[in-house]
Amino acid sequence: MGLITRSKETAPCTVTISHRFEELSAHVRLDNGAVIHPGDTVQVQGPEIMAAFGEIVEEQRTAVITRASKLEQMWTRATGDLEFMELCEFSFSEEVMS
Amino acid sequence: MNMHSSEATTAEEAIAAQEALPPLTNEEATKVAMSNTLLTPRFYTTDFDEMDAIDVTPVRAEWDKLIAAMKADPNRGHFKKNEDWDTVDWDGMEPALKAEFIDFLISSCTAEFSGCVLYKEMKRRGSNDDITTLFQLMARDEARHAGFINDALREAGIAVNLGFLTQAKKYTYFRPKFIYYATYLSEKIGYARYITIYRHLEANPEHRFHPIFKWFREWCNDEFSHGEAFALLMKTDPALTESRVNKLWIKFFLTAVYSTMWVRDHQRPEFHKALGVDPAWYGQEVFRKTSEISKQVFPMTLDIDHPRWIPQLNKMQAANVQIALGRKQGGFGGWVKRMAGSARAGMAFLSLLTIPVETNEVPQSPRLEPAY
Repeated sequence: MGLITRSKETAPCTVTISHRFEELSAHVRLDNGAVIHPGDTVQVQGPEIMAAFGEIVEEQRTAVITRASKLEQMWTRATGDLEFMELCEFSFSEEVMS
Repeated sequence: MNMHSSEATTAEEAIAAQEALPPLTNEEATKVAMSNTLLTPRFYTTDFDEMDAIDVTPVRAEWDKLIAAMKADPNRGHFKKNEDWDTVDWDGMEPALKAEFIDFLISSCTAEFSGCVLYKEMKRRGSNDDITTLFQLMARDEARHAGFINDALREAGIAVNLGFLTQAKKYTYFRPKFIYYATYLSEKIGYARYITIYRHLEANPEHRFHPIFKWFREWCNDEFSHGEAFALLMKTDPALTESRVNKLWIKFFLTAVYSTMWVRDHQRPEFHKALGVDPAWYGQEVFRKTSEISKQVFPMTLDIDHPRWIPQLNKMQAANVQIALGRKQGGFGGWVKRMAGSARAGMAFLSLLTIPVETNEVPQSPRLEPAY
Protein backbone atom coordinates (compact mmCIF):
# COMPACT_ATOMS: atom_id res chain seq x y z
CA MET A 1 0.00 0.00 0.00
CA GLY A 2 1.41 3.36 -1.02
CA LEU A 3 1.19 6.51 1.00
CA ILE A 4 -0.97 8.20 -1.60
CA THR A 5 -1.64 5.51 -4.20
CA ARG A 6 -4.63 3.21 -4.24
CA SER A 7 -4.51 -0.36 -5.45
CA LYS A 8 -7.16 -2.73 -6.68
CA GLU A 9 -7.65 -6.42 -6.12
CA THR A 10 -10.45 -8.89 -6.71
CA ALA A 11 -11.89 -11.46 -4.37
CA PRO A 12 -14.50 -14.17 -4.84
CA CYS A 13 -17.51 -13.45 -2.70
CA THR A 14 -20.85 -14.88 -1.66
CA VAL A 15 -23.89 -12.62 -1.57
CA THR A 16 -26.81 -13.82 0.50
CA ILE A 17 -30.20 -12.13 0.50
CA SER A 18 -33.15 -13.20 2.59
CA HIS A 19 -36.29 -11.43 1.47
CA ARG A 20 -38.83 -13.19 3.60
CA PHE A 21 -41.55 -12.29 6.04
CA GLU A 22 -39.56 -13.72 8.93
CA GLU A 23 -36.21 -12.24 7.89
CA LEU A 24 -35.04 -9.37 5.74
CA SER A 25 -31.25 -9.32 5.49
CA ALA A 26 -28.42 -9.14 3.00
CA HIS A 27 -24.73 -9.89 3.41
CA VAL A 28 -21.58 -10.01 1.34
CA ARG A 29 -18.87 -12.43 2.46
CA LEU A 30 -15.40 -12.32 0.96
CA ASP A 31 -14.54 -15.97 0.42
CA ASN A 32 -10.75 -15.70 0.26
CA GLY A 33 -10.49 -14.21 3.72
CA ALA A 34 -9.59 -10.73 2.41
CA VAL A 35 -9.89 -8.16 5.20
CA ILE A 36 -11.45 -4.75 4.66
CA HIS A 37 -9.66 -1.82 6.23
CA PRO A 38 -10.92 1.69 6.94
CA GLY A 39 -11.37 3.69 3.74
CA ASP A 40 -11.41 0.67 1.41
CA THR A 41 -14.20 0.44 -1.13
CA VAL A 42 -15.90 -2.81 -2.10
CA GLN A 43 -17.97 -3.33 -5.22
CA VAL A 44 -19.71 -6.54 -6.15
CA GLN A 45 -19.54 -7.11 -9.92
CA GLY A 46 -22.42 -8.08 -12.17
CA PRO A 47 -26.07 -7.18 -12.48
CA GLU A 48 -28.27 -6.24 -9.54
CA ILE A 49 -29.13 -9.21 -7.37
CA MET A 50 -32.82 -9.67 -6.77
CA ALA A 51 -34.73 -11.92 -4.43
CA ALA A 52 -38.48 -12.18 -4.84
CA PHE A 53 -40.54 -11.92 -1.70
CA GLY A 54 -40.41 -15.19 0.19
CA GLU A 55 -37.02 -16.21 -1.23
CA ILE A 56 -33.46 -16.65 -0.06
CA VAL A 57 -30.93 -16.09 -2.81
CA GLU A 58 -27.25 -16.95 -2.62
CA GLU A 59 -24.90 -16.05 -5.45
CA GLN A 60 -21.18 -16.42 -6.07
CA ARG A 61 -19.76 -13.22 -7.46
CA THR A 62 -16.50 -11.33 -7.76
CA ALA A 63 -15.84 -8.27 -5.65
CA VAL A 64 -13.39 -5.55 -6.57
CA ILE A 65 -11.68 -4.12 -3.52
CA THR A 66 -10.14 -0.69 -3.96
CA ARG A 67 -7.59 -0.35 -1.21
CA ALA A 68 -7.34 3.07 0.35
CA SER A 69 -3.92 4.70 0.35
CA LYS A 70 -2.11 4.81 3.68
CA LEU A 71 -3.00 8.47 4.00
CA GLU A 72 -6.66 7.85 3.26
CA GLN A 73 -6.74 5.02 5.76
CA MET A 74 -5.28 7.23 8.48
CA TRP A 75 -7.76 9.97 7.63
CA THR A 76 -10.72 7.57 7.81
CA ARG A 77 -9.49 6.22 11.14
CA ALA A 78 -9.10 9.72 12.53
CA THR A 79 -12.38 11.14 11.31
CA GLY A 80 -14.73 8.14 11.02
CA ASP A 81 -15.88 8.59 14.60
CA LEU A 82 -17.38 11.95 13.70
CA GLU A 83 -20.03 10.17 11.69
CA PHE A 84 -21.24 8.34 14.76
CA MET A 85 -24.81 9.60 14.32
CA GLU A 86 -25.04 7.01 11.54
CA LEU A 87 -25.10 4.40 14.27
CA CYS A 88 -28.22 5.82 15.87
CA GLU A 89 -31.78 5.22 14.76
CA PHE A 90 -34.42 7.90 15.02
CA SER A 91 -37.52 6.40 13.40
CA PHE A 92 -37.56 9.24 10.85
CA SER A 93 -35.28 10.46 8.08
CA GLU A 94 -33.71 13.90 8.43
CA GLU A 95 -35.69 15.23 5.48
CA VAL A 96 -38.01 18.18 6.13
CA MET A 97 -41.28 17.18 4.45
CA SER A 98 -43.75 19.94 5.07
CA MET B 1 -60.71 -12.89 -4.68
CA ASN B 2 -57.44 -13.80 -3.05
CA MET B 3 -57.09 -13.52 0.68
CA HIS B 4 -55.31 -10.38 1.78
CA SER B 5 -52.10 -10.99 3.72
CA SER B 6 -53.55 -9.03 6.63
CA GLU B 7 -56.17 -11.73 7.05
CA ALA B 8 -53.62 -14.52 7.14
CA THR B 9 -53.22 -16.40 10.38
CA THR B 10 -49.69 -17.66 9.80
CA ALA B 11 -46.58 -16.21 8.23
CA GLU B 12 -46.79 -18.83 5.47
CA GLU B 13 -50.32 -17.81 4.59
CA ALA B 14 -49.36 -14.16 4.61
CA ILE B 15 -46.50 -14.88 2.22
CA ALA B 16 -48.74 -16.92 -0.06
CA ALA B 17 -51.36 -14.17 -0.06
CA GLN B 18 -48.77 -11.54 -0.88
CA GLU B 19 -47.28 -13.62 -3.66
CA ALA B 20 -50.72 -13.81 -5.24
CA LEU B 21 -50.95 -10.02 -5.42
CA PRO B 22 -50.62 -8.40 -8.82
CA PRO B 23 -47.27 -6.68 -9.50
CA LEU B 24 -46.92 -3.28 -7.88
CA THR B 25 -47.85 -0.51 -10.23
CA ASN B 26 -48.56 2.27 -7.78
CA GLU B 27 -46.40 5.01 -9.23
CA GLU B 28 -46.79 7.21 -6.21
CA ALA B 29 -45.48 4.45 -3.96
CA THR B 30 -42.57 3.70 -6.24
CA LYS B 31 -41.65 7.36 -6.28
CA VAL B 32 -41.68 7.51 -2.50
CA ALA B 33 -39.52 4.40 -2.29
CA MET B 34 -37.04 5.79 -4.78
CA SER B 35 -36.87 9.25 -3.29
CA ASN B 36 -36.25 7.77 0.15
CA THR B 37 -33.17 5.86 -1.02
CA LEU B 38 -34.61 2.79 0.52
CA LEU B 39 -32.22 0.48 2.31
CA THR B 40 -28.89 2.20 2.06
CA PRO B 41 -27.10 0.81 5.09
CA ARG B 42 -23.69 2.13 6.04
CA PHE B 43 -20.65 -0.10 6.18
CA TYR B 44 -18.17 0.14 8.99
CA THR B 45 -15.04 -1.43 10.26
CA THR B 46 -13.85 -1.21 13.80
CA ASP B 47 -10.97 -2.47 15.86
CA PHE B 48 -12.00 -6.12 15.80
CA ASP B 49 -8.95 -7.19 17.82
CA GLU B 50 -9.95 -4.87 20.62
CA MET B 51 -13.49 -6.26 20.56
CA ASP B 52 -12.17 -9.79 20.53
CA ALA B 53 -10.14 -9.04 23.62
CA ILE B 54 -13.22 -8.15 25.69
CA ASP B 55 -13.38 -10.35 28.74
CA VAL B 56 -16.84 -10.62 30.25
CA THR B 57 -15.55 -12.38 33.40
CA PRO B 58 -16.38 -9.43 35.71
CA VAL B 59 -20.04 -9.65 34.65
CA ARG B 60 -20.11 -13.37 33.85
CA ALA B 61 -23.16 -14.36 35.91
CA GLU B 62 -25.35 -11.62 34.48
CA TRP B 63 -23.95 -12.09 31.00
CA ASP B 64 -24.81 -15.80 30.92
CA LYS B 65 -28.31 -15.10 32.18
CA LEU B 66 -28.94 -12.48 29.49
CA ILE B 67 -27.55 -14.63 26.68
CA ALA B 68 -29.62 -17.60 27.87
CA ALA B 69 -32.75 -15.44 27.83
CA MET B 70 -31.96 -14.24 24.32
CA LYS B 71 -31.28 -17.79 23.15
CA ALA B 72 -34.63 -18.91 24.57
CA ASP B 73 -36.09 -16.44 22.07
CA PRO B 74 -39.37 -15.52 23.78
CA ASN B 75 -40.37 -13.39 20.78
CA ARG B 76 -40.02 -16.14 18.21
CA GLY B 77 -43.78 -16.41 17.73
CA HIS B 78 -44.53 -12.73 18.17
CA PHE B 79 -43.76 -11.35 14.74
CA LYS B 80 -46.61 -13.01 12.94
CA LYS B 81 -49.74 -11.49 11.62
CA ASN B 82 -52.84 -12.65 13.41
CA GLU B 83 -56.41 -11.44 13.76
CA ASP B 84 -55.10 -8.29 15.51
CA TRP B 85 -53.62 -7.11 12.23
CA ASP B 86 -56.59 -5.07 11.01
CA THR B 87 -57.07 -3.95 7.45
CA VAL B 88 -55.29 -0.70 6.71
CA ASP B 89 -57.11 1.88 4.64
CA TRP B 90 -54.07 3.20 2.79
CA ASP B 91 -56.16 4.94 0.12
CA GLY B 92 -58.25 6.72 2.72
CA MET B 93 -55.23 7.98 4.63
CA GLU B 94 -54.49 11.71 4.44
CA PRO B 95 -51.61 12.11 1.92
CA ALA B 96 -49.46 14.11 4.35
CA LEU B 97 -49.93 11.51 7.07
CA LYS B 98 -49.30 8.72 4.61
CA ALA B 99 -46.01 10.30 3.50
CA GLU B 100 -44.83 10.75 7.10
CA PHE B 101 -45.91 7.28 8.14
CA ILE B 102 -44.15 5.70 5.16
CA ASP B 103 -41.03 7.67 6.06
CA PHE B 104 -41.37 6.16 9.54
CA LEU B 105 -41.64 2.62 8.15
CA ILE B 106 -38.78 3.04 5.69
CA SER B 107 -36.45 4.67 8.22
CA SER B 108 -37.24 2.01 10.80
CA CYS B 109 -36.74 -0.79 8.29
CA THR B 110 -33.40 0.69 7.17
CA ALA B 111 -32.27 1.07 10.77
CA GLU B 112 -33.10 -2.54 11.62
CA PHE B 113 -31.45 -3.66 8.41
CA SER B 114 -28.27 -1.65 9.06
CA GLY B 115 -28.11 -3.00 12.60
CA CYS B 116 -28.30 -6.50 11.18
CA VAL B 117 -25.46 -5.82 8.70
CA LEU B 118 -23.26 -4.35 11.45
CA TYR B 119 -23.91 -7.11 13.99
CA LYS B 120 -23.45 -9.88 11.43
CA GLU B 121 -20.13 -8.38 10.35
CA MET B 122 -18.94 -8.27 13.95
CA LYS B 123 -20.04 -11.83 14.46
CA ARG B 124 -18.05 -12.90 11.41
CA ARG B 125 -14.88 -10.99 12.19
CA GLY B 126 -14.66 -11.94 15.85
CA SER B 127 -13.35 -15.12 17.41
CA ASN B 128 -14.37 -14.50 21.03
CA ASP B 129 -17.31 -16.83 21.65
CA ASP B 130 -19.12 -14.57 24.11
CA ILE B 131 -19.04 -11.63 21.76
CA THR B 132 -19.87 -13.49 18.54
CA THR B 133 -22.82 -15.24 20.19
CA LEU B 134 -24.24 -11.92 21.29
CA PHE B 135 -23.90 -10.34 17.86
CA GLN B 136 -25.41 -13.38 16.18
CA LEU B 137 -28.48 -13.16 18.44
CA MET B 138 -28.89 -9.43 17.88
CA ALA B 139 -28.55 -9.84 14.11
CA ARG B 140 -31.37 -12.41 14.30
CA ASP B 141 -33.70 -9.95 16.03
CA GLU B 142 -32.92 -7.08 13.69
CA ALA B 143 -33.48 -9.18 10.56
CA ARG B 144 -36.80 -10.34 12.00
CA HIS B 145 -37.92 -6.78 12.75
CA ALA B 146 -36.84 -5.64 9.28
CA GLY B 147 -38.88 -8.44 7.71
CA PHE B 148 -41.95 -7.48 9.68
CA ILE B 149 -41.74 -3.80 8.69
CA ASN B 150 -41.00 -4.79 5.13
CA ASP B 151 -44.28 -6.66 5.06
CA ALA B 152 -46.16 -3.57 6.27
CA LEU B 153 -44.47 -1.61 3.48
CA ARG B 154 -45.52 -4.17 0.91
CA GLU B 155 -49.10 -3.72 2.00
CA ALA B 156 -48.67 -0.03 1.28
CA GLY B 157 -47.45 -0.93 -2.20
CA ILE B 158 -43.76 -0.31 -1.60
CA ALA B 159 -41.14 -2.86 -2.55
CA VAL B 160 -37.69 -2.78 -1.01
CA ASN B 161 -34.80 -2.10 -3.30
CA LEU B 162 -31.62 -3.99 -2.47
CA GLY B 163 -29.67 -2.39 -5.31
CA PHE B 164 -27.05 -1.19 -2.85
CA LEU B 165 -25.55 -4.66 -2.83
CA THR B 166 -23.90 -4.17 -6.21
CA GLN B 167 -22.96 -0.53 -5.66
CA ALA B 168 -19.52 0.54 -4.47
CA LYS B 169 -19.43 0.69 -0.68
CA LYS B 170 -16.86 2.67 1.20
CA TYR B 171 -16.06 1.43 4.68
CA THR B 172 -15.72 4.00 7.40
CA TYR B 173 -14.27 3.40 10.83
CA PHE B 174 -15.58 3.64 14.39
CA ARG B 175 -13.66 2.98 17.54
CA PRO B 176 -15.37 0.21 19.55
CA LYS B 177 -16.30 2.60 22.37
CA PHE B 178 -18.22 4.79 19.93
CA ILE B 179 -20.17 1.76 18.84
CA TYR B 180 -20.96 0.93 22.48
CA TYR B 181 -22.15 4.42 23.40
CA ALA B 182 -24.14 5.00 20.23
CA THR B 183 -25.68 1.55 20.01
CA TYR B 184 -26.47 1.35 23.71
CA LEU B 185 -28.25 4.67 23.58
CA SER B 186 -29.95 3.88 20.33
CA GLU B 187 -31.38 0.60 21.64
CA LYS B 188 -32.54 2.13 24.92
CA ILE B 189 -34.07 5.20 23.34
CA GLY B 190 -35.76 2.88 20.84
CA TYR B 191 -37.29 0.97 23.74
CA ALA B 192 -38.47 4.20 25.37
CA ARG B 193 -39.95 5.48 22.10
CA TYR B 194 -41.86 2.29 21.32
CA ILE B 195 -43.18 1.68 24.82
CA THR B 196 -44.32 5.30 25.20
CA ILE B 197 -46.35 5.06 21.99
CA TYR B 198 -47.65 1.63 22.97
CA ARG B 199 -48.86 2.80 26.39
CA HIS B 200 -50.38 5.94 24.93
CA LEU B 201 -52.34 3.93 22.37
CA GLU B 202 -53.39 1.42 24.99
CA ALA B 203 -55.13 4.30 26.76
CA ASN B 204 -56.31 5.96 23.52
CA PRO B 205 -57.00 3.14 21.04
CA GLU B 206 -58.99 5.44 18.73
CA HIS B 207 -55.64 6.97 17.64
CA ARG B 208 -54.14 3.67 16.55
CA PHE B 209 -54.21 4.28 12.81
CA HIS B 210 -52.13 1.24 11.87
CA PRO B 211 -51.96 -2.24 13.45
CA ILE B 212 -48.15 -2.29 13.62
CA PHE B 213 -48.30 -0.28 16.86
CA LYS B 214 -49.93 -3.27 18.58
CA TRP B 215 -46.65 -5.17 18.15
CA PHE B 216 -44.50 -2.52 19.81
CA ARG B 217 -44.46 -3.94 23.33
CA GLU B 218 -42.73 -7.24 22.62
CA TRP B 219 -40.71 -5.57 19.88
CA CYS B 220 -39.21 -3.05 22.24
CA ASN B 221 -38.28 -5.79 24.69
CA ASP B 222 -35.77 -6.94 22.07
CA GLU B 223 -34.35 -3.42 21.93
CA PHE B 224 -34.22 -3.42 25.69
CA SER B 225 -32.18 -6.60 25.94
CA HIS B 226 -29.77 -5.46 23.23
CA GLY B 227 -29.19 -2.36 25.34
CA GLU B 228 -28.63 -4.57 28.39
CA ALA B 229 -25.89 -6.42 26.54
CA PHE B 230 -24.09 -3.17 25.70
CA ALA B 231 -24.46 -2.02 29.31
CA LEU B 232 -22.71 -5.20 30.43
CA LEU B 233 -20.01 -4.76 27.78
CA MET B 234 -19.31 -1.25 29.08
CA LYS B 235 -19.15 -2.63 32.61
CA THR B 236 -16.22 -4.88 31.66
CA ASP B 237 -13.97 -1.84 31.37
CA PRO B 238 -14.63 0.86 34.00
CA ALA B 239 -12.56 3.43 32.08
CA LEU B 240 -15.25 3.45 29.38
CA THR B 241 -17.65 5.28 31.65
CA GLU B 242 -15.42 6.71 34.36
CA SER B 243 -12.48 8.46 32.73
CA ARG B 244 -12.71 12.23 32.38
CA VAL B 245 -12.54 12.21 28.59
CA ASN B 246 -15.09 9.44 28.25
CA LYS B 247 -17.50 11.25 30.55
CA LEU B 248 -17.34 14.18 28.17
CA TRP B 249 -17.99 11.87 25.24
CA ILE B 250 -21.03 10.41 26.98
CA LYS B 251 -22.45 13.86 27.63
CA PHE B 252 -21.82 14.76 24.01
CA PHE B 253 -23.56 11.59 22.81
CA LEU B 254 -26.58 12.11 25.04
CA THR B 255 -26.98 15.70 23.91
CA ALA B 256 -26.54 14.87 20.23
CA VAL B 257 -28.96 11.95 20.29
CA TYR B 258 -31.67 13.67 22.33
CA SER B 259 -31.56 16.86 20.27
CA THR B 260 -31.59 14.97 16.95
CA MET B 261 -34.61 13.03 18.09
CA TRP B 262 -36.38 16.24 19.08
CA VAL B 263 -35.68 17.87 15.72
CA ARG B 264 -36.77 14.87 13.66
CA ASP B 265 -39.96 14.24 15.63
CA HIS B 266 -40.97 17.88 15.25
CA GLN B 267 -40.55 17.51 11.49
CA ARG B 268 -43.35 14.91 11.45
CA PRO B 269 -46.40 16.87 12.70
CA GLU B 270 -49.05 14.78 10.93
CA PHE B 271 -47.76 11.50 12.33
CA HIS B 272 -47.91 12.83 15.87
CA LYS B 273 -51.26 14.53 15.33
CA ALA B 274 -52.76 11.24 14.12
CA LEU B 275 -51.42 9.48 17.21
CA GLY B 276 -52.85 12.26 19.36
CA VAL B 277 -49.39 12.99 20.75
CA ASP B 278 -47.71 16.34 21.34
CA PRO B 279 -44.12 15.83 20.10
CA ALA B 280 -42.74 18.01 22.92
CA TRP B 281 -44.52 15.94 25.57
CA TYR B 282 -43.45 12.76 23.80
CA GLY B 283 -39.82 13.91 23.58
CA GLN B 284 -39.59 14.77 27.26
CA GLU B 285 -41.30 11.52 28.23
CA VAL B 286 -38.86 9.48 26.13
CA PHE B 287 -35.86 11.43 27.51
CA ARG B 288 -37.09 10.85 31.07
CA LYS B 289 -37.40 7.10 30.58
CA THR B 290 -34.09 6.84 28.72
CA SER B 291 -32.28 8.86 31.40
CA GLU B 292 -33.74 6.70 34.15
CA ILE B 293 -32.62 3.53 32.38
CA SER B 294 -29.19 4.88 31.46
CA LYS B 295 -28.39 5.42 35.14
CA GLN B 296 -27.52 1.72 35.08
CA VAL B 297 -24.22 2.52 33.39
CA PHE B 298 -23.73 6.24 32.63
CA PRO B 299 -22.33 8.38 35.46
CA MET B 300 -24.62 11.30 34.61
CA THR B 301 -27.97 12.25 33.13
CA LEU B 302 -28.86 15.42 31.24
CA ASP B 303 -30.89 18.04 33.09
CA ILE B 304 -33.95 18.03 30.84
CA ASP B 305 -35.87 20.32 33.20
CA HIS B 306 -33.27 23.05 32.94
CA PRO B 307 -34.79 26.37 31.76
CA ARG B 308 -32.51 26.38 28.69
CA TRP B 309 -33.31 22.83 27.59
CA ILE B 310 -36.59 23.11 25.63
CA PRO B 311 -36.00 26.66 24.27
CA GLN B 312 -32.64 25.63 22.81
CA LEU B 313 -34.08 22.41 21.35
CA ASN B 314 -36.73 24.55 19.65
CA LYS B 315 -34.03 26.87 18.30
CA MET B 316 -32.24 23.88 16.83
CA GLN B 317 -35.45 22.76 15.20
CA ALA B 318 -36.06 26.23 13.70
CA ALA B 319 -32.46 26.37 12.46
CA ASN B 320 -32.92 23.00 10.81
CA VAL B 321 -36.00 24.23 8.94
CA GLN B 322 -33.97 27.25 7.79
CA ILE B 323 -31.18 25.00 6.50
CA ALA B 324 -33.71 22.90 4.56
CA LEU B 325 -35.29 26.02 3.07
CA GLY B 326 -31.86 27.27 2.02
CA ARG B 327 -31.03 23.97 0.36
CA LYS B 328 -34.35 24.03 -1.51
CA GLN B 329 -33.85 27.64 -2.60
CA GLY B 330 -30.34 27.02 -3.96
CA GLY B 331 -28.05 29.71 -5.37
CA PHE B 332 -26.18 32.26 -3.31
CA GLY B 333 -29.24 33.32 -1.30
CA GLY B 334 -29.87 29.71 -0.39
CA TRP B 335 -26.27 29.22 0.59
CA VAL B 336 -26.39 32.24 2.92
CA LYS B 337 -29.60 30.93 4.48
CA ARG B 338 -28.00 27.53 5.00
CA MET B 339 -24.87 28.93 6.59
CA ALA B 340 -26.89 31.17 8.91
CA GLY B 341 -29.03 28.19 9.86
CA SER B 342 -25.97 26.04 10.55
CA ALA B 343 -24.49 28.74 12.77
CA ARG B 344 -27.74 29.01 14.73
CA ALA B 345 -27.95 25.23 15.10
CA GLY B 346 -24.34 25.15 16.30
CA MET B 347 -24.98 27.87 18.88
CA ALA B 348 -28.08 26.09 20.16
CA PHE B 349 -26.15 22.83 20.44
CA LEU B 350 -23.35 24.53 22.36
CA SER B 351 -25.89 26.04 24.71
CA LEU B 352 -27.41 22.60 25.34
CA LEU B 353 -23.97 21.09 25.83
CA THR B 354 -23.09 23.61 28.54
CA ILE B 355 -26.13 22.83 30.71
CA PRO B 356 -24.66 21.21 33.85
CA VAL B 357 -25.38 17.49 34.15
CA GLU B 358 -26.91 15.65 37.08
CA THR B 359 -24.33 13.22 38.38
CA ASN B 360 -25.32 9.69 39.10
CA GLU B 361 -23.92 6.94 41.30
CA VAL B 362 -23.74 3.92 39.00
CA PRO B 363 -24.90 0.70 40.73
CA GLN B 364 -22.60 -2.29 41.04
CA SER B 365 -24.89 -4.47 38.96
CA PRO B 366 -26.33 -2.81 35.88
CA ARG B 367 -29.04 -5.36 35.00
CA LEU B 368 -32.59 -4.05 34.55
CA GLU B 369 -35.86 -5.48 33.32
CA PRO B 370 -38.28 -3.56 31.10
CA ALA B 371 -40.77 -1.94 33.45
CA TYR B 372 -42.60 0.83 31.60
